[in-house]
Amino acid sequence: MFSNYLTTALRNLLRQKSYTLINLFGLSVGIAAFLLIALYVQHETGFDTHLEHRSNIFRVVEVQNEPGVGEQHVAITMGPLAAAMKEDFPQVTDAVRFMPGFDIPVVNFGDKHFIERNLYYADPSVIKVFGIDLKQGNPSVALSEPMSVVMSEKAAVKYFGSEKHALGKTMLLGKRNFTVTGIMENQPERTHLFFDILVSMSSVENLSDFEWMKGWGSNSLVTYVSLDSPSSQSVIEKAFPEFLKKHVFSTDEGWEFLEMYLQPLPDVYLRSKHIKFQMVSAMGDINLSVAFSVIAVLILLIACVNYINISIARSVKRSREVGVRKVLGADRQSLIYQFISESFILTLLASLFSVGFIELALPEMNQLLSTSFHIDFTGNWLFNIGLLLLIVVISIISGSYPAFYLSRLQPVEVMKGGRGSGSTRGSYLSKGLVMFQFIISVGLMFSVLVINDQVRFLQNKDMGISYRDAVFLSFGNEQGISSYQPLRDELLKNPDIRFVSACSFINGVSGSQGPVFVDDSASTKLTVRFGYVDADFFNSMNVKFTQGRNFSRDIVSDEGRTVIINEAAARKLGWSNAIGKKFKPVMGADTSVSTEVIGVVRDYHYFSLRSLIEPAVYVVSPERFRGLLIGFHSRSDQQKVMKTIEEQWLEFFPESPFKPLLASEFAREAYKNDQNLFSLFIYFTIISGLLSVLGLFGLTSLLIEQKTKTIGIRRVLGGSIRKITAHLIRDYMLLVLSAGIISLPVSYYLLDKQLDQFAYHISISVWHMLLSVLLLAFVAFVTIVVKAYRAARANPVDALKYE
Amino acid sequence: MIRTVNLNKIFRTDEVETTALNKVSFEVRKGEFVAIMGPSGCGKSTLLNILGLLDNPTDGEYYFLNTEVSQFTEKQRANTRKQNIGFVFQNFNLIDELNVYENVELPLIYLGMSASERRKRVESALEQMQITHRRKHFPLQLSGGQQQRVAVARAVVATPHLILADEPTGNLDSAHGEEVMNLLASLNQGGTTIIMVTHSQRDAEYAQRIVRLFDGQIINENIKAGISEIPII
Repeated sequence: MFSNYLTTALRNLLRQKSYTLINLFGLSVGIAAFLLIALYVQHETGFDTHLEHRSNIFRVVEVQNEPGVGEQHVAITMGPLAAAMKEDFPQVTDAVRFMPGFDIPVVNFGDKHFIERNLYYADPSVIKVFGIDLKQGNPSVALSEPMSVVMSEKAAVKYFGSEKHALGKTMLLGKRNFTVTGIMENQPERTHLFFDILVSMSSVENLSDFEWMKGWGSNSLVTYVSLDSPSSQSVIEKAFPEFLKKHVFSTDEGWEFLEMYLQPLPDVYLRSKHIKFQMVSAMGDINLSVAFSVIAVLILLIACVNYINISIARSVKRSREVGVRKVLGADRQSLIYQFISESFILTLLASLFSVGFIELALPEMNQLLSTSFHIDFTGNWLFNIGLLLLIVVISIISGSYPAFYLSRLQPVEVMKGGRGSGSTRGSYLSKGLVMFQFIISVGLMFSVLVINDQVRFLQNKDMGISYRDAVFLSFGNEQGISSYQPLRDELLKNPDIRFVSACSFINGVSGSQGPVFVDDSASTKLTVRFGYVDADFFNSMNVKFTQGRNFSRDIVSDEGRTVIINEAAARKLGWSNAIGKKFKPVMGADTSVSTEVIGVVRDYHYFSLRSLIEPAVYVVSPERFRGLLIGFHSRSDQQKVMKTIEEQWLEFFPESPFKPLLASEFAREAYKNDQNLFSLFIYFTIISGLLSVLGLFGLTSLLIEQKTKTIGIRRVLGGSIRKITAHLIRDYMLLVLSAGIISLPVSYYLLDKQLDQFAYHISISVWHMLLSVLLLAFVAFVTIVVKAYRAARANPVDALKYE
Repeated sequence: MIRTVNLNKIFRTDEVETTALNKVSFEVRKGEFVAIMGPSGCGKSTLLNILGLLDNPTDGEYYFLNTEVSQFTEKQRANTRKQNIGFVFQNFNLIDELNVYENVELPLIYLGMSASERRKRVESALEQMQITHRRKHFPLQLSGGQQQRVAVARAVVATPHLILADEPTGNLDSAHGEEVMNLLASLNQGGTTIIMVTHSQRDAEYAQRIVRLFDGQIINENIKAGISEIPII
């Protein structure tokens, strides 16, 4: 029986080559797009899944409301929080704090010096809470003692050549010697907080530099708590106001507003876009995963709808076959099997082709997303069970119409030629499905137009600072901070070099945010970003002044006793003329005297356009400079300049690794993710649009083919097919219009929400909507006209004979 | 083998009610060759469809092999049909996607017969219809006469008790028409009961009895062809 189905199916496919190709292409592209997106979503949802007790682990998040910046969610917390929570809440079984090793710029062993990005101070409980498997060392004490280090096998190999020789070795972290007390397995890369080296928190807790860790006034570390049960989350959250009253508001740390909540660890990677300050090595966006999943399903549905529509249109021909088979003894069930197996065969073929498409698309996608997705039939369930399931589901969805509708036809009706696609039922369904495709197409087209404009807006917006032709080099150690001047002088001798400026970072600001107090009777408070720059920074980076003057090397008091603020700070403080205004001593400045405002710089985007420009205060504070920003002439040979800089750098700072960061790359990095995901979105939208057009093309061909007799008769009688075409066009235009009316409000709502993620964004205009509907109308129009023209040119005699 | 009592068939649409068959009572014995004649629209094909269990009558009784089948469900009809009845149509109704062999094989597949048994039967039917040399050809590669021979082979391959032929020569030239009629006659001589609807007096001559229908009623039953009293339109 099955071989007969197979034969019929294959011959049917071969006989109707163009429709088979449309279906095959549509389904294979659909399956490929679905699987590619599934790979992305699988990747995104797979973060932190290695943590066995993740459902019991929570990250503490603060909600702050500071003058000057407003409400902000912050997942960086205070030093005493972990211990206090353990003490006050019996539900907290354990707590771990992480703090980046910002006093350890370079890790040294012998002649090996590395800047370690994935190095953190951590409490001893980290091993238990995060389920770290120690290959060597005693897990219960490995991080208990000060000056202890636990490192991954990979890191051990890097420093000691082999993980076997690492335990017990002493190495220089920053300025101090530490002992390796444990070797842990390499951490999986898909985690929101990737660490290679863990240093015992007790190593810094009692240092005078880290005195702030004992108070409730400073947020510098991240706190994770392990609860006895996930349900305890709400109990603790309810008790937080009382807890904060007891610990925080009772102190004199200046908190006026503070709330806290617990964020489940499985949410940290995908649902943390609203958190402004946090410590993560990777961050995803649940909205994107959802959006892409929806697109994946839509693409697949479009491909299925194409198949169904072509089946409906072809049902006139197929119904005769059904009739014959029924006369010869076929029952409904066997016919359902036959049609489903037909779509199964087609889908199976399509899935084979889809693997080819995936193979073609993966390199591009991997490059866009910086991933290493690959086809894995044995190791990844998506490519075995998933694919099989997909084939079955698609076969059933797309084979359902012919299977259940056609098999119900009575042979006698069919043999008389009474039913087929001419039936109103089939044509309503068909129109409904075309409408469904149009709704999706309009929505996606509209999204592309809007997102495209937003991306352009981001690219072209004047940032207020020039990130071109400059490179930032981080001082490895304090030696750099104290002795960068000779290197600066040396570098400036090079005619290719435009400027050398010492600063906290490329964008002029540091990572820290804190309060400044106006030197007035009310001690007006403003929360600001601190920036540490020398006298060359603003001019070199093309940051303009709106009031006052720049720092000067010739004025001694400019080092620590004067500040420059940005427009946002002046605005928040209500200063139309800020020059001469005074702050109480600010962080990083001379603490003995008030600091005077000598200049106001135009607001520039020191971070991405996602966030508003916040108040900033700039101080010349050499001990807080973190590196040199070196500008070179655009006409110079960049490679040669870099080579020279490297040689000179290593000559002056032999222990600081040469790790240049191009300023342009830093600027791009902020939107790289947006841009890449947008490219991906465009690709998938094009695919869905293509499939819709393909379906429309196939369907129109069949509809016109069915009208061949009408066209023939009209032409024999001397008429034209203009009326038929006009009728068809009118029908489709109505569908396009209705699709727009249904689709646009929904898309508008979703897009508007997405745009709100950017502090600076375009507004959606009526043109975006009109254009998307017009584009679709145009495509539909062209398709119909092309097909109708071809039908009109055919010989009417053939048409009549055919019927 | 077949007996109908007061068989009625009424087609209803929203506005029109058409009586296709009006109290048709007649009988066909095993081994008979009966021709049903009458003008277009007199109800010949409707009667054939009911006799072939493709359709149910509106009312009346229909005994097929001594079983009252007029109220059979679709499934029951399909089951009875595939075991007992073979069909030959005016427009052949071969499946274009299947070749000669596969078309003939189809009824046997639906009967659930084993592959080896099917092969034997199909070969024998093709041989009987002298179409073996065309077994790999597709319907569209065959002449009308050849296609109808395939259709007859398909009708007989399951050795049914009854063959229903609906204007089997309607689409054929006279030479090919005669060929097909000879085939049917020889099948009848072999014991198969045949009921044939036809417009052609010449074809009707092959039958042992001619039943004449007019406006859904039997107006004449002649044993061995007599003289037509009603002009054929």
